[in-house]
Amino acid sequence: MADKYLELIGITTRFGDVEALQGVSLSVARGEVVCLIGPSGCGKSTLLRAANWLTPPNEGTVRLDGSVVGHAPQGRATAAQIRALNGHRARIGMVFQQFNVWPHLTALENVVRAQMVVLRRDKSEAEAKARQALADVGLSDKMDAWPERLSGGQKQRLAIARTLAMDPVLMLMDEPTSALDPELVAEVLAVLQRLAEIQMTMLIVTHELGFAMRVADRIVFMEAGGIVEQGPPQELLSNPRTDRLKAFLDKLSLTTLPKDREHAEI
Amino acid sequence: MKFDISYTIDALPRLLEGALVTLQVTLVGFVLSLSLATALTVMREANNVRWAHRALAVYISFIRGTPLLVQIFLIYYVSPVIGLDIGPYTAGILAITLNSAAFVVEILRGGLASVPSGQFEAASALGLKGPALWGKVILPQTFIASVPPLVNEFTQVLKASALLSTITIVELMRVSQQIFSRNYHPVEVLLGTFILYFLMCFAVSRSAALIEAKLELRRG
Amino acid sequence: MTLDLTIFVDYGPRILLGFWMTIKIVVLAISLGLPFGVVLALARRSRLRVLSWSALAFIEIFRNTPFIIQVFLIYYVLPFYGLRLPAEQVGVLALAAFGSAYFAEVIRGGIDAVPSGQLESARAIGMSDLQAMRHIVLPQSLAIILPPLTNQMLSLIKESAILSTITVQEMTMTALRVQGETFRPFEAFIMIALLYWLLNEVVAIAMRALERRWTTKPVEGEA
Repeated sequence: MADKYLELIGITTRFGDVEALQGVSLSVARGEVVCLIGPSGCGKSTLLRAANWLTPPNEGTVRLDGSVVGHAPQGRATAAQIRALNGHRARIGMVFQQFNVWPHLTALENVVRAQMVVLRRDKSEAEAKARQALADVGLSDKMDAWPERLSGGQKQRLAIARTLAMDPVLMLMDEPTSALDPELVAEVLAVLQRLAEIQMTMLIVTHELGFAMRVADRIVFMEAGGIVEQGPPQELLSNPRTDRLKAFLDKLSLTTLPKDREHAEI
Repeated sequence: MKFDISYTIDALPRLLEGALVTLQVTLVGFVLSLSLATALTVMREANNVRWAHRALAVYISFIRGTPLLVQIFLIYYVSPVIGLDIGPYTAGILAITLNSAAFVVEILRGGLASVPSGQFEAASALGLKGPALWGKVILPQTFIASVPPLVNEFTQVLKASALLSTITIVELMRVSQQIFSRNYHPVEVLLGTFILYFLMCFAVSRSAALIEAKLELRRG
Repeated sequence: MTLDLTIFVDYGPRILLGFWMTIKIVVLAISLGLPFGVVLALARRSRLRVLSWSALAFIEIFRNTPFIIQVFLIYYVLPFYGLRLPAEQVGVLALAAFGSAYFAEVIRGGIDAVPSGQLESARAIGMSDLQAMRHIVLPQSLAIILPPLTNQMLSLIKESAILSTITVQEMTMTALRVQGETFRPFEAFIMIALLYWLLNEVVAIAMRALERRWTTKPVEGEA
């Protein structure tokens, strides 16, 4: 992996006395899709949220394309640092488990607002972008709908469109399908798969192993605040080197793997 | 002019006497208000006379829609005109009682709503009705459920009592006006008064928070 | 006691002038106090200790003292520091300060009621704290804030009567003057009581209509 586009270096995050991440380092190359898997509480979401400094770590550095997104520990951030961080965040799309669409704005306005506020695009440009982004996720017919009228899958696709309109160079996804009813998972995964096909750099926390198999260039297995094992999906999942990954996969195959197999057929 | 704390300190003994009157007036007004509101609540629940409900609603709306100061003036200035020879204390406490009761009725309505209807049924199955049903079963539960907003209402009455200074009742506010009109140091004296009011109100509202926490604990 | 209706005719216009003054003072106090209340609510949530503690102190002090003593203190403190203002302006300032403490608590409650993911998603897409508040959180708080906010506005109308104690020529002061001249306290005070009641009801109904408009369909966003 010569090209280190996103670099997470020595990330340590503590919540009270609990060390959620213990000096984790991970880099992602341009155009690479990396899936983070592991039991709940292993720190994968915390690591993802360190990447755009949404949950600032206690120690560590995050760099994007060589430029510092965040560095800890540091004193009070200066105005210039805050501006720089906001600039980075504008280019790093983030998709949440709970969608977090903005219920007081229509679908179109959801996609338009941040473009105008953050990127200072004028209204017509932002709307053109928004229409394109909504079309890309298959929501052309829902432009004027209020989020409360949308299904979970549609809300998540709207959230994805909202970040796509910002022309992101990197997407962070925090269990994008975990809050969805099973029958709505496929429509969101399809959108993610298309993003992978157009070489979007992505870091995805997921429980959907079948999906990870198909889209990931690399799977990273985490446990207890550290990276245990990583590698290409086929290799990692069929020949786990560590007992811990083996145990994790055994437990999964009893519960969620059948569901994943269904998705693989869609 | 410079701020001279000695005027605050000199005024303190008399201010404390005034604070005592404030507490007395507040306590009397609050107890009367609670009694009146309880009576009104039982009446409202016990009968279905349309005009009585209407009258109660108008009373509550009027009290809540007009300034307490104007209500105080109405009672204080009008009572002698209609031949009622009540002094400022009676007029003042009457005004505060009538005012607060309108708010307490609403508080008790909320408390009553939290009493499960099964309580009514269980009590009447045991043969309890009328005063016994209300006195032994319903009202105690209503009061317990209403404790936090009632304590809050107590601080409202405490603050409201300062308005009685306008009709010559010598409570804390009036005492401080008397002092600074003689020594011409309103800032020092008023600051002492201000702090005393704050301490009284803050103590009560803090205790409300504690009581609430305790009630939560018992329920939990 | 007989009702002297001529008092209403003869002194009605003067009372109405006082009524107008009451409205002006309350409107000014709200337009000063509401923005300051927003500032207080945001300061209260600030990570800067100095800021959040000062805001908390301000709010607690104004909520735990009678308005009449706040009015007196401000009325006498300002000239003490060389600031001589007409009574009306002192009254507006006092009422705005008093109101802002209550507004702040209402607004804080509204902000806290918006799920944290909303603020998070706005921050993650690159909005500053203030932009996120203005475009994402506060508009959603509106529906939650509006009913208690209305109550606070109504309470400002009523508290404004206390400004008569520092000789502000609002409606209660006017009624005191009228009763002093006519010795007809009932007519004087019932007249203003009815006007206060009317104003209270009109504002309450208007705000409820506004609430309905804002809650039946989500708030139209402005950029």
